[in-house]
Amino acid sequence: MIGSHLLSVLLAAGDTAHASDHGHHSAHFPVALPTEGLGYAGLVLALPLIAMILNGVYAISGVRSKLPAWTTVACLGTAFAVVLNLYLKADIEHPVVVPLFEWINLSWGTGAISAPFGLYLDSLTLLWMLFVTGLGTLIALYASEYMESDVGPAYCRFFGGVSIFLLAMGCLVMGDNLLTLYLGWEGVGFASYMLIGYHFTKPSAVAAAKKAFIVNRIGDLGLALGIYLTWLHFGTLEYSKLFEMLQADGAMAAAQQAMAGGWEVAIIPFLLMAGAFGKSAQLPFYIWLPDAMEGPTPVSALIHAATMVTAGVYLLVRTFPMLELHPAAAPTVAWVGGATALLAATIGMAQYDIKRVMAYSTVSQLGYMFMGVGVLSTFGAAAHVFTHAFFKAVLFLTCGAIMHGFAGQLDLRVLRGLRHVKGWRIVVWTMFYASLCLAGFPIISSGYWSKDVILAEAFANGRPILGGIGLLTAGLTAYYTFRVWFRVCCGPKPDDHDLAKMMGDDHHGDDHHDEGHGEEDHHHHMPHAPKWAVNLVLSVISLAAIGSILLVPEHGWLEHMVAKSSGAGGVGANHHDLPADAGFWADPHGWMKYVASTVGLLGMAVAAWLHLFNRSAADRLRATLLASPLKAVVRAMENKWYVDELYNALIRMPLKIKGHALHMLDRYVLDILVVDGLGRLPKMIGRTLSPLQNGVLQSYAASMAGGVILIALLILVLPMLLDLLGGAA
Amino acid sequence: MSPLLLILIPLLSAVSVAFAPRGVAFRVATISTLVTLAVSLIIASDFGHWYDDGFGLVTELSWLPSIGASFDMHADAPAMWLVLLSTVLMPVCVIGSKTAIKERVREYYAWLLVLEAAMLGVFLAKNLLFFYVAFEFTLVPMYFLIAGWGGSNRASASIKFFLYTFTGSMLTLAGLAYVAWRFADASGGWSFDIPALTAFASVDLSATEQFWVMMAMLAGFAVKVPLFPVHTWLPLAHTEAPTAGSVVLAGVLLKLGTYGLFRFVLPMTPVGVVEAVPAIGALATIGVVYGALICWVQEDVKKLVAYSSVSHLGFCVLGLFALNPSGLQGSILYMINHGLSTGALFLLIGMVYERYHTRDMNRLGGLVANMPIWSAFMVFFVLSSLAVPGLNGFVSEFLCLIGAFSATPDNAQWPGLLGPWYAVFAGTGMILAAMYLLYLTGRLVWGPYRAPPADKNSGLPTDLSSREIGLLLPLALMCVWLGVQPSGLMRTLEPSVERTLAAYPELVPTQVESMAVLEEVNGG
Repeated sequence: MIGSHLLSVLLAAGDTAHASDHGHHSAHFPVALPTEGLGYAGLVLALPLIAMILNGVYAISGVRSKLPAWTTVACLGTAFAVVLNLYLKADIEHPVVVPLFEWINLSWGTGAISAPFGLYLDSLTLLWMLFVTGLGTLIALYASEYMESDVGPAYCRFFGGVSIFLLAMGCLVMGDNLLTLYLGWEGVGFASYMLIGYHFTKPSAVAAAKKAFIVNRIGDLGLALGIYLTWLHFGTLEYSKLFEMLQADGAMAAAQQAMAGGWEVAIIPFLLMAGAFGKSAQLPFYIWLPDAMEGPTPVSALIHAATMVTAGVYLLVRTFPMLELHPAAAPTVAWVGGATALLAATIGMAQYDIKRVMAYSTVSQLGYMFMGVGVLSTFGAAAHVFTHAFFKAVLFLTCGAIMHGFAGQLDLRVLRGLRHVKGWRIVVWTMFYASLCLAGFPIISSGYWSKDVILAEAFANGRPILGGIGLLTAGLTAYYTFRVWFRVCCGPKPDDHDLAKMMGDDHHGDDHHDEGHGEEDHHHHMPHAPKWAVNLVLSVISLAAIGSILLVPEHGWLEHMVAKSSGAGGVGANHHDLPADAGFWADPHGWMKYVASTVGLLGMAVAAWLHLFNRSAADRLRATLLASPLKAVVRAMENKWYVDELYNALIRMPLKIKGHALHMLDRYVLDILVVDGLGRLPKMIGRTLSPLQNGVLQSYAASMAGGVILIALLILVLPMLLDLLGGAA
Repeated sequence: MSPLLLILIPLLSAVSVAFAPRGVAFRVATISTLVTLAVSLIIASDFGHWYDDGFGLVTELSWLPSIGASFDMHADAPAMWLVLLSTVLMPVCVIGSKTAIKERVREYYAWLLVLEAAMLGVFLAKNLLFFYVAFEFTLVPMYFLIAGWGGSNRASASIKFFLYTFTGSMLTLAGLAYVAWRFADASGGWSFDIPALTAFASVDLSATEQFWVMMAMLAGFAVKVPLFPVHTWLPLAHTEAPTAGSVVLAGVLLKLGTYGLFRFVLPMTPVGVVEAVPAIGALATIGVVYGALICWVQEDVKKLVAYSSVSHLGFCVLGLFALNPSGLQGSILYMINHGLSTGALFLLIGMVYERYHTRDMNRLGGLVANMPIWSAFMVFFVLSSLAVPGLNGFVSEFLCLIGAFSATPDNAQWPGLLGPWYAVFAGTGMILAAMYLLYLTGRLVWGPYRAPPADKNSGLPTDLSSREIGLLLPLALMCVWLGVQPSGLMRTLEPSVERTLAAYPELVPTQVESMAVLEEVNGG
């Protein structure tokens, strides 16, 4: 058909006609498992996309209302409803691939790279998407109030960023191959960049955004290389085919693959891990997450606590069969997780900014999740992801409410007695419950159930030292969590004068907008309590956190979900049939409940002593410690163990110096000395040959003529030369 | 429609622009480039060889039949795409110059149009002499564009640009002439037919001959790419060129080098290539890291983007010399993508320069406060340049790297002479690209607002005008399209790529063996 060729190429529609000559193209599209009428799953991605586009339209058309927020909430809420519907309709015994469109599909001879844009719906995907879209909706609702002083273009930008995030997170979690996961992976990184740098006039926010993206990119290189090797060795990036290869005979198959492939295969899990450690802020990449707190608090809650940072855990659970490609892979994950958990907890103990405390606590809790994956308990890891998503969201959102109400005040040495202030009841008590969860308070807190699984599995997996580190961290966690709550919410009742003194110096949105001053002025003097949206969201997420207790215990719903997914190998891996007369200490799953509870309660008791009953003791203790030989340790903890400084000195500065040195080399040596030097050569020759000519043009003409002669000579001489050379050889 | 139109329209319009009244020069040039674009789209639509390895559009037009010179034209799918890239970028350049160029308007547009004719000649030539004339002739208009409308250091920049690339291409001429001479010697008559010469050279030239011919061709093409360490003309030329000049330079002229490698070096001298692959791969990899590190310490925005081309084109060359389809396809796609995203970045920087007359990042910053639309485009094209998946850059960078990665001697189907380490080192360019591009964005787009007083005489609004948005939007849409639906384009490249690579699966193992033997001899 004349005139339609180019169009058919652009639309990739030529494929139908083309496929007949090159039959191999069509063969690489995923073996269409029965989609069972689940084609509408694409809506989960389409809805945030629509929200994103609409927010862009609002920004351009100058909308100055809360319309962006309501649009986003509506789209995300609908996406949640779709996910819920998918969960109810899908048969989680059988993963389903829903092909959407062709993305990358190349083939030649027998090789092919195929990354169709399809959705892989299994229990793990649905589990993740349920809390991602659910929390996304609720936090967008919270943000509608939290961000209200920015109504205007910035408001559109904020909700546009949230929509991009949900879109990318959807690709990451629902994609049916590693390349689509990578698409989402980088996409959430960009969303995170835009949202951390939301207050773009603040240099610290811009720097934090940049740091987050760059540090993540280091991990991403690992992930990318892991993907290359996976493709090279397995010939496919699609989960359904990969798992088929890896799980043909269970673990044996993977081990054999590794044997056959040599180091290039054995290294795959380590490369994937690097990606996971970057995105989930583990050692050695965790440094970006605390700085990411520069973003607005709803962003911290959604992206940097509940959802995006769990992407690394998702990746490892999703590719769990690949962890078996090297025997040291799982232990590495476990130790990195354990070390991160402890390190971050020690830093969290010594911070005064409550949002930073929560940031380090997120790093620390993510460490637990990796410890869970590493000790072959994908169930424990996923359970902790699930419970943590809710209670940590509450903690951040309450911090946000305080920050919002107190004009940016986050210092726990300044804030106090919130319990007694009118209008803060929901904030105070949801924060209390979430703190119980983080501290692992027995029975009634969700964190208790999920953290215990990981700790018990660490012992059951034969890693008592790691388990011990986990227990120690649990104690520290309980301490620093309640240090915050006791300091901020308890204490003597503040009067109006005290409250005014507590106010921070942050003027919400004043950088961008001058209107609405009447209200702002009031804000600057007295704290204002949160309104309905914030209180509603806090209540709902807290209820969800309570509800999650019903889902996470062993043999419950969540374990079932994980057991039906690619993480199945990590469910019950450490369970051994114990003899009936085995003692109490033989089964860690039994005694851990008591030991972990005791440790948690101990941490809370110390916090209560130092920060509730005897507040001056905390200062005295600090003074004593600073006078003792432990001084260096305390200082180091307060200064985050100087890790940022270390990286700066070891990596960033040397690179910067190299950059400058190479630039100098490029300019002065390569360009001026070598190139210009060579350029002057004919000029000098020209000058000696014809001293009368000294104009620039003449010398260049001479040089050109010289060049031409040289070339002509070469052409004449070269054949002879080559003959000579050929003869010699 | 005859492909000859693609050269005649710009050429004739150049003449008419030069002699037309001053007031209509811009309009004539705009119409001319748009008509050329339309013609190229029609030709592309009728192009019947998207999916086979043949050359289409064959047009014969003799020039000096006695020595075999002709204006014969042909194109295969990769050439067609590069033609389209050029015809798409040219209207952007012309319309983008509307307010920036106020002096000697007629000459300016005439030279731009001559440049377009020459570039299209390079991609369409079937005759070697025609190719070479067109290839060299791109230098002349570019020289005058830099010298006549460039920045403060334009004199030395233009001369350096001209002499540097001219010297390189003289060597290329020598190599190509040698091939033609040997062909005439062997067959008894002169011919400059590129397919015939390619077929002849790849088979009938000895290994030594192939090696030296390759070196000669490399001299010209590597300077054009530019490959480290012969890249030093580029930052200067880019920085000093007027915006449109930079856009064409980055968008198309650099691709003449990679296209030359693809069209001549790979198929003509396979035996020579297999000897040089590790060295070229190393230079390309060094270029990626070297260019990126230098970008990171620039204060001049335009220089930063200029050095980023050195880094980016390293990926492109690495893909070419992976000697496998993923590498080559990725590389050709890279040529198109780099043209779109870096071209757009130069355009964006030009727009700021027109308003504030500075490119110094110490004096410019936080522009999002005043120019949100500009900033949105800037962030978008930075992402495209960063190879964020979902946009165009990703697919090509991914394929170049995976191509280099899999190019190991023991690869069963497409043995190669690179391997994982090349990909790993070049891959660090991904991280470094994030460092310098976000450094650029962090300084220019975000942060506290700082800028010198805007030029009142520029006649431009604070943020982008609808004309400027109209230039950027199509480029952005193309970036999204190529990021989301690259398969259609990629599939058209397969046949040519496979034809180009035909000799290699057998040659590479031989080379590996002879290297092993050599090592043994040296070791023993």
